[in-house]
Amino acid sequence: MARPLGPVRLKKTNPLTLLLGAVLCIFIIYFLLGPSAPDFSPSRKAAAASHPLSPPTSPFRKQSTSSGVKPKPPPVTHYNLNNVTITANPVENRENVLVLTPMARFYQEYWDNLLKLTYPHELITLGFILPKNKEGNAATTELQKQIAKTQKHGPEKDRFKSIIILRQDFDPPLPSQEESERHKMQNQKARRAAMSKARNSLLFTTLGPATSWVLWLDADIIETPPTLIQDLAKHDKPLVAPNCYQRYYNAEKKAMDERPYDFNNWQDSPTALELAGKMGPDDILLEGYADMATYRALMAYMYEEGADDHLEVPLDGVGGTALLVKADVHRDGAMFPAFPFYHLIETEGFAKMAKRLGWQATGLPNYKVYHFNE
Amino acid sequence: MLPFASSGSKVTPRHHVSGYSNGYPRGSTFEISPHRFQPRGATPALRRRRRLFVRLAIVIAICGLFALFVWPGSSIFSVLSLGLLSRGEDFQLETVRYYDLSNVQGTARGWEREERILLCVPLRDAEPHLPMFFSHLRNFTYPHHLIDLAFLVSDSKDRTLEVLSNNLESIQAEEDEMKHFGEISIIEKDFGQKVNQDVESRHGFAAQASRRKLMAQARNWLLSAALRPYHSWVYWRDVDVETAPFTILEDLMRHNKDVIVPNVWRPLPDWLGGEQPYDLNSWQESETALALADTLDEDAVIVEGYAEYATWRPHLAYLRDPYGDPDMEMEIDGVGGVSILAKAKVFRYGVHFPAFSFEKHAETEGFGKMARRMDFSVVGLPHYTIWHLYEPSVDDIKHMEEMEREKQAKEAEEREQAEKVKKMKETFGDANGQWEKDKTEMQNIAQQEKKKDSSEGSTKDKQEKLIIAEAAASVEKEKSKGPAKAVVKEEKEDRKV
Repeated sequence: MARPLGPVRLKKTNPLTLLLGAVLCIFIIYFLLGPSAPDFSPSRKAAAASHPLSPPTSPFRKQSTSSGVKPKPPPVTHYNLNNVTITANPVENRENVLVLTPMARFYQEYWDNLLKLTYPHELITLGFILPKNKEGNAATTELQKQIAKTQKHGPEKDRFKSIIILRQDFDPPLPSQEESERHKMQNQKARRAAMSKARNSLLFTTLGPATSWVLWLDADIIETPPTLIQDLAKHDKPLVAPNCYQRYYNAEKKAMDERPYDFNNWQDSPTALELAGKMGPDDILLEGYADMATYRALMAYMYEEGADDHLEVPLDGVGGTALLVKADVHRDGAMFPAFPFYHLIETEGFAKMAKRLGWQATGLPNYKVYHFNE
Repeated sequence: MLPFASSGSKVTPRHHVSGYSNGYPRGSTFEISPHRFQPRGATPALRRRRRLFVRLAIVIAICGLFALFVWPGSSIFSVLSLGLLSRGEDFQLETVRYYDLSNVQGTARGWEREERILLCVPLRDAEPHLPMFFSHLRNFTYPHHLIDLAFLVSDSKDRTLEVLSNNLESIQAEEDEMKHFGEISIIEKDFGQKVNQDVESRHGFAAQASRRKLMAQARNWLLSAALRPYHSWVYWRDVDVETAPFTILEDLMRHNKDVIVPNVWRPLPDWLGGEQPYDLNSWQESETALALADTLDEDAVIVEGYAEYATWRPHLAYLRDPYGDPDMEMEIDGVGGVSILAKAKVFRYGVHFPAFSFEKHAETEGFGKMARRMDFSVVGLPHYTIWHLYEPSVDDIKHMEEMEREKQAKEAEEREQAEKVKKMKETFGDANGQWEKDKTEMQNIAQQEKKKDSSEGSTKDKQEKLIIAEAAASVEKEKSKGPAKAVVKEEKEDRKV
């Protein structure tokens, strides 16, 4: 005999089943809505400031403006800088890293590479400074789009602790950032002075009381090892610069190849010192120009295939394309001189100033990062 | 309508060609619809289900309410409301900040344009000065909510930190909103300074260079930890300023200079002249000093106000005229750190307090030099004066001790003298008494004798009296003759001439 079907079953439905269904529904809704809403783990909430007037290296709680409650006065906040550690093992000691990037153009590869860094993102604060011109506006828009994607909708482990976007308050000296124009010698001084101001503005407004390391990373660095921060910090040096290379299509070999890019990482030479000695107080020495042969030992050419990645060499000048600096160096006052400092300017002058303060720069000739190829 | 039939349906056709009349495929064999003979249940399923739903709703509502009480503002509630109701706002974190630095350039009328000032105060063993400092702070006329405070407490052995935070907490807890300040950061950092902070060692020449470098380091740490992208101005102020106008921020800001300092003097005790220029670090560069700088080695630091380096620089402090125009400006190259107002832009562009020898200068003087190097305007106001606290130096203390000793010696002497007088008086008083006594005794004796004499006869007595009277008369004569003689003499001399 055939079994009675459908309606009979319905009639027998247990209320418990319905309850279970309802509970399941709630869970499904919960998990559907959950990730889209900005939700943070307790450790992130603990690091947040309670007032918008706070160091930009931490996120802050939005104050309710709708309710009639008067906003509370800013609290008295204590920061003990004796407890900010700077060690060779930053992940274990939960040290905050500030990644600073002066940006004129936005490269998607840069952002993707940044997201790939394995250093815990909840300890990373990003700082950007962009010029106020058409190019800068376009870059800002694109940057903000990517930031929103990561910070609002991305998985929590991708989200950075906080992000600061600054627009600079002076005009870039050159209307164009064209590669050829940019590297012309007579344009260098003005360009690099402006660059120094941008770097300093970014640095001194974002450093804050909690930062242990500052990573200078140019906006056109598109490829680094994902463990960049850990690897550089492991050396426990006040300033560490990896070697900056560029990938390009070699027409002769008919294959992809790479060539050295950043020539500002160097060791001083007697010739350069002699040249500097003859110069007027406002002249600067530049690297990588044929009509000013300095015979400095460039780290770019110290690379050896297959040699130890972590070989260290002392440096007298550094380039800013990628550079890990202990925050204490900047706190002591080492900055990027926008004026000729011992005939050096910007990042090279920075290395010199750090040296005057007792901090020595180190280079890693066999540890490579890659620059965008225009 | 869906081809479902409920148990109560009475319109179900008994035989339908298409089948599926009750929602289920029929087999090829003829069957009697099961609905027909179904006995009625206790309650119709629809109603039962409705009741179940009602109960479920009640249970969920109770659970929800309970959850709301247990975890107020938890996200479960907002999920139930499908996010239509406002989410717990406490947990809305903002991770992205955007600032346009061209909005924080600093202008002459900052208080109208709501420009934020960062007030930086480096502190070390400054507990005794804090009450005075806070009275100044409360009196600032610049809108308090636009002032952010940053303190660096380093290597302090007294209760500086405690007193400082108690004072600040009490300001922020005040009823009056106008009294609340903006962001307040207290930063602790010990540099392990070996240099003593007492007046003598602080101003000794040998200790200057390393002391100034350490001070510079402290200032840089404070600034780099406290400067934010929303600051338009930075004001550096020492705690030991005794007297300053309440409007000093506006007064300095009005000049709209990149770096500006007032003149700093200090009051002195009267025996030292009443007042004295204090801050000698604000000066104009001189040829002598530049020539001197060339002869020194790379790490040497020229410090002003010591005989070891005679620089012949014009000092802001010495140019003060108490009746001069307080708005008068003077271009300077070195800057004193007691009270500096600078645009935040200056610090943003990298000017700082060199903790190394920058053009042979360190700390605030090096700051002035570096600001000039970057083409910022550096200005001093020679006739706008604030007064630094007078702390007696060791010499002064010695001198004052000496003065105290002298005073005490003087007092002791006076006391001694008074005592002497008193003693003498006492002894004289005794003598008088004795005299009186003797006198009365003598008188008694005399009277007794008189009595005896009167009984014997008075002729002898009369003779004696006569003799006395004669003698007196001759004296009188002598007196009246004296001047007359003198006159005669003069007359004689006149004639001679």
